[in-house]
Amino acid sequence: MAKIDQLTESLLRGFASRTSRRSLFSVFGGMLAGAAALPLLPVARAATDGSQPPVYSGDPQDPGNQASCDYWRYCAIDGSLCACYGGSALACPPGTEMSPITWIGTCRNPADGRNYIMSYNDCCGGVLWGRCNCQRNDGDRPVVRPQRNNEITWCFGTKSQSYTCTVSIILGVEQDHPPQPRG
Amino acid sequence: MSITGFRIALPVILGALMCTPLAASPRFPNPLPAGQLMKVKVLPARYPDGWVFLDYASERIEIRDVGGDDGAVEGQVQARDSTTLLVPHGRAEFYTADTVWSRYTRGTRTDYITVYDKRTLDPIGEIVLPGAKRALITAMQGMFEFTDRQRLGLVFNFTPASSVTVVDLIARKVLGTIDIPGCSLIYPSGDLGFSTLCSSGTILSLKLDAQGRVAARRESARFNHLGRDPLFTSSALIGGVRYFATMQGNAQPIDMHGEFAKVLPAWSLLSPSERAAGWRPSGWQVVASDGKKDLYVLMQAQAHEGTQKDPAQEVWVYDVAAKARIRRLHLVRPGGSIALTHGSKPLLVVQSYAPRPGADDPYNQTEGRIDVYDPASGTLIRSLNTPGFRTRMSIQAVH
Repeated sequence: MAKIDQLTESLLRGFASRTSRRSLFSVFGGMLAGAAALPLLPVARAATDGSQPPVYSGDPQDPGNQASCDYWRYCAIDGSLCACYGGSALACPPGTEMSPITWIGTCRNPADGRNYIMSYNDCCGGVLWGRCNCQRNDGDRPVVRPQRNNEITWCFGTKSQSYTCTVSIILGVEQDHPPQPRG
Repeated sequence: MSITGFRIALPVILGALMCTPLAASPRFPNPLPAGQLMKVKVLPARYPDGWVFLDYASERIEIRDVGGDDGAVEGQVQARDSTTLLVPHGRAEFYTADTVWSRYTRGTRTDYITVYDKRTLDPIGEIVLPGAKRALITAMQGMFEFTDRQRLGLVFNFTPASSVTVVDLIARKVLGTIDIPGCSLIYPSGDLGFSTLCSSGTILSLKLDAQGRVAARRESARFNHLGRDPLFTSSALIGGVRYFATMQGNAQPIDMHGEFAKVLPAWSLLSPSERAAGWRPSGWQVVASDGKKDLYVLMQAQAHEGTQKDPAQEVWVYDVAAKARIRRLHLVRPGGSIALTHGSKPLLVVQSYAPRPGADDPYNQTEGRIDVYDPASGTLIRSLNTPGFRTRMSIQAVH
């Protein structure tokens, strides 16, 4: 993974330093259109309020309370949980807009032992008041590696860049780590 | 009494009470004097050494007297989103960079620098930043910095393309934007320029001309191992050398004297046994210095992947010339950010987390505090509350 990151970074930096901004936009726009999954990152925000009714997937392979910071998919999240705002672990709450550009994390599913690549999508433009703040930093890296940083507000390509909350969506299974035994 | 009779009697009784002078208390024969109307406090032109700026990361920026026993709030300025602060030496003003939307969380976005009068805290000037591209990231060092003897302000942008907006703070106008593809944050270097940490593990230095345009650039060899052992991005300046801590417990000095940053040899903050015990730097603003020779680092035991931003239990103090630890300070509560005040008797200021006994909200089990220590002995001198604190705080000592 680290080698892939380095290779990608050196390629992109070389590309960026040689390419005009206008042509960069045309390429970047094409990348965005083709990849709802090109993850990048969120922001540090607020704590408080609690006592949410639990939200479960009902699938034994996806265990845990989605309104709790302990939920396995939230291993690299830093923000408010959308499940506490009328959304869910997967969906933004009404009145917000999901950013297509995100940061990513790698979380181990305790049920099947697989490591999953997670996209953390920020929901933007709604009410911000810091409910269900959750800060977990597995694999989080400084902003110098932005696609792995959860302090950035990942509200890009949205009408408003004001942060509301964050959802976590499975992008795929990490290929170079076979399933681990449970426990 | 009938209802009608009561309606007539009540105003009469109340009127009589209002018009009857109450007997003066023998203890207080004279009334208090009438107060002065329209009074607004002002701050001293030079803030005392014991004051600090506390940046509540998008809540407010507070000027707090951590050197006084009452820990008074001396004043505050507004903050909306990822607000960053820039305080010059010897100038009667300071600056914040902020972002607002015309309908609070929606509508037209405006990025702008506010110029505050240091004594009155009046907003006396404003510089609107073009392009709606100022980086919205938890406020941290490197997002808003000076160069050219504090004439120019540099604002970090992230869209997610990286760039820096150059602002003439004296003329109060934007000079231009410099693209820094793949690089993040701003560390002033040389007399007129800055350096930035790049995702390829290098540091890129840019020398500017008087108009804020790039005159020369140079990139270092790769030294920042971003996957395994990255630099925390907060740093402390000692004698023109910027000291970073790495996630695995090394010190990385970078000489910023010249126009091109010079990466100096890294050295270990840990002995082999401390490393084996899992001691690592940890927190948010993880390093501080007295500006002379001592480097202070927040340290956490039994650290592992995922704990790198957790609050830490100790502060370790190093003599950077000897590359040796000279003190271990045990914190009464885990700390997330540290700073030292200036002056002849500096104080160690620690943003800490205290448990909230009986709190039934699982997301709100701690409250933030400011703990003030004697940096020589590690003795806790005082502890201040920080109402409204939520996640992370940047602390900046006054000059």
